[in-house]
Amino acid sequence: MNAVLYDVALTAYILAAAAAIGSLVGRRDQLAWVALLLTQAGWICHTAAVITRGVELGRLPFMTMAEVISLVIWAAILLDFWIERRSRIRPLSAFVLPVILALGLGLPTGLRSIALETPVRSGWIVVHVALVLVGLAALVLNFGIALMYLLRERQLKAKRTGAFYRHLPPLETLDRLTVGTLTIGFPFLTVGLALGVLSAPAAWGSLLTFDPLALFSLVMWLIYTATLLGRVMGQWGGRRAAYFAIAGFCVLLATLGAGAFLHGRHGS
Amino acid sequence: MTSPGTLFVAGMNHRTAPVAVREQLALEEEKIREVLADLSGRGLLDEVMIVSTCNRVEVYGVAAVPGEARTAAFGRLGSHRGLAWRDLEPLVYTVTGEEAALHVFRVAASLDSMVLGEPQILGQVKDAFALAQSAGTAGPVLHALMSQAFGAAKRVRTETEVGRLAVSVSHAAVELARKIFDGLEGRAVLLVGAGEMGELAARHLVDHGALPVYVTNRTWSRAQELARNLGGTAVPFDQLEATLSLVDIVVTSTAAPEPIVTTAQVRTALQARRTRPLFFIDIAVPRNVEPAVNDLENAFCYDIDDLRSVVEANLKERQREALRAQALLEGEVVKFAGRLRQLEVVPTIVSLREKIEVIRRAELERAIARLPAAGEETRRVMEALSQAIVNKVLHAPMVKLKDSSRAGHARRWTEMISELFGLRGPARPDSRE
Repeated sequence: MNAVLYDVALTAYILAAAAAIGSLVGRRDQLAWVALLLTQAGWICHTAAVITRGVELGRLPFMTMAEVISLVIWAAILLDFWIERRSRIRPLSAFVLPVILALGLGLPTGLRSIALETPVRSGWIVVHVALVLVGLAALVLNFGIALMYLLRERQLKAKRTGAFYRHLPPLETLDRLTVGTLTIGFPFLTVGLALGVLSAPAAWGSLLTFDPLALFSLVMWLIYTATLLGRVMGQWGGRRAAYFAIAGFCVLLATLGAGAFLHGRHGS
Repeated sequence: MTSPGTLFVAGMNHRTAPVAVREQLALEEEKIREVLADLSGRGLLDEVMIVSTCNRVEVYGVAAVPGEARTAAFGRLGSHRGLAWRDLEPLVYTVTGEEAALHVFRVAASLDSMVLGEPQILGQVKDAFALAQSAGTAGPVLHALMSQAFGAAKRVRTETEVGRLAVSVSHAAVELARKIFDGLEGRAVLLVGAGEMGELAARHLVDHGALPVYVTNRTWSRAQELARNLGGTAVPFDQLEATLSLVDIVVTSTAAPEPIVTTAQVRTALQARRTRPLFFIDIAVPRNVEPAVNDLENAFCYDIDDLRSVVEANLKERQREALRAQALLEGEVVKFAGRLRQLEVVPTIVSLREKIEVIRRAELERAIARLPAAGEETRRVMEALSQAIVNKVLHAPMVKLKDSSRAGHARRWTEMISELFGLRGPARPDSRE
């Protein structure tokens, strides 16, 4: 049942992404509405899917890698709604939805294999996963907005007019939102990862066992820390911060990939 | 009262008539009021209004014979300056019915303007309508036409970008500033030089909330004068470099033969600004800002050619949007036609109701007179009885009339009902071609 709901949600997201991109490039406001409605419908299905999965399996629905990715998407879309509402940035979903889809397309298969054995998890690990998950969702948005920033900046420098000239938000707004999403995501990520490190000895016996996901996480955390520090020092704003957001996100993808496909302590 | 006249538009605009003729016909309000009163007094037109701007002179009216009405209207307009109808005839276009409605909608929505999408025309049409209303020459058809036209113009303004994109250099500068900054409120502006276009751009920025404004010029007195005009502060010319780091937007329009803002200066200013962007609008020729400034991170520099190409792109976009607006207006014409058809049956409905009401009252009075002992109670019952009979009998014909107007063959039914109930005068024949 939950797998069917996931499929429906994912289909709605795919259509919404197409509509959002169409509205940006083809300059059709109606399509933007279609995109919004589809995203909302998809998100409701998604919520139902997560809940039914929890009920059907009789445990919290974020214990496997696929489940975590699914919830990152869920939270990222929620955050996207919030930012679009607050900042009135309509085309945001045209950038965020494709990113989300890139994350989500591997999901249905992962979610169908419910036979995955899940080791007994301590309460701290549940908190670790939940915090990291919220952090990652904010960073997905961070990436989408950084992408918009770079496009906007390039278009302004090159003095080109076109779809982006009219429909992208002002450069400063985008810069502010890149910082904003990072500021939201970073504390969650930091505390979440720290909890992971602290509870690792209890779960695995030793801290120093090689685990690809843990390693990538560390690199990712360092990049985001550097971005934030650079910003605080007042030197790395605008374009540079956007490049860092993109680098950080690439490592984030690699991290999730490592979690999903490489065998380590986080399971697969 | 039944007004089966045809809606028509007769007029000349910047495309059909040279300014030498248009200016002869452009009359002040009092004269137009006279013309309106005179025209409706002659009985050729049921309703009439006149739109007179520097780019167009148009008569919107309802008349049994639009051709005659048009000749009369332009003859009357031309008579003020001794222009005869035969001189004007080749310059005047005439459209009727739905085409006329579409024309009016296009005018109000500024699709027919010289500068596509310019906002003044809607206000001018509104004024013209108000004038006709106060002169008592606007009737139900023009009312319906105008309220539909104003609604349609508003839709075009909000649903398309016909009027939204900047089509002048100084407005383009503001538009660009708003692509960089998150709103212009509280952004500091530096105006360098006293060029007219620079001052205009600075003024537009101020209108959008930019503040404070610094003004500098080689001639100190001129800087002070400009600062006064813009509500800003004059800064000595040798302080230019220091002021760069205080502002968000720099507008330059001096006659200097060499750049007066160098890349090195801007680099220093940017360091002080940390990561906030700095926007240069260089309207001067030769340019006042070194072009390489645009290559610095967080600095954006647009020269006059860049601004002009933004304007050109916007004009093209407005034309593309005009096509969308046209489709929207065509839909509005269909709605208007429906409204007009409903309007057609209104006079019949009103006179039918009036006629029956007169009969009812008379019969009621007569009956009451024959019952001298009747108290208040009896009177009330009889009143209610007669009212109920009238309503029940009229119900079916009313519904039929309204349905027929929706279906578009109201004419047959209004005539039939007028005949059947002997309403005042059958509708005029051959009026709606």
